[in-house]
Amino acid sequence: MAGTGAARVVNPALVIDTVITALLRETMPDAAVEVYDLTGTMDHLEVFVRTKAFAGVSPLDRHRMVERALAPARADGRIHALQIRTATPEEPHG
Amino acid sequence: MADLHDEIQREIAANPILVYGKGTKDAPRCGFTLETIQFFNSFGYPFEVVDVLENMPKRQALSEMTDWQTLPKVFIGGQFMGDTDILAPMAQNGELATLLEKTFAGSGVSPTIQLR
Repeated sequence: MAGTGAARVVNPALVIDTVITALLRETMPDAAVEVYDLTGTMDHLEVFVRTKAFAGVSPLDRHRMVERALAPARADGRIHALQIRTATPEEPHG
Repeated sequence: MADLHDEIQREIAANPILVYGKGTKDAPRCGFTLETIQFFNSFGYPFEVVDVLENMPKRQALSEMTDWQTLPKVFIGGQFMGDTDILAPMAQNGELATLLEKTFAGSGVSPTIQLR
């Protein structure tokens, strides 16, 4: 492939979990991230985020932290519908 | 903007459970709004849905007031509660039932569904 110079078309749906994980780790470097495709169409996602940054933080503010981190992907439409679940390393998988 | 804030304050004061969403109770126009309506239907307390889909200034005012960018937005007893991401775990651990009982205490309203 190298050197062909051909542009490669990447389906953003195929890499959205990588995008989400990278964005979250910008502000929450230890984040363990699971991304679920709820509808099979990659436009209704659920993300589970586990990080120590959530310790002592209310559910509303955890949600705000996740949305803030993912704002770029929201703004350009890569994320359309998103459900969010959060936990600290000590909390059970919600 | 001040007028919109007043309008919103009036609405959340007048409705113990208020959902700002896309579409109406009978014709929701967004999966999450539908999900939220079904969620509250299962509790049996009266709730109101205000359609702000086409009302961008009001959506902007709501987002600023709550520091929450997405719809639906739920208020219970005048308090911003986020959406079902926040409320579903509270329903599971019983916090929400307690909050709703407290919110409707003395109002003469009882749920049409027995929670416990």
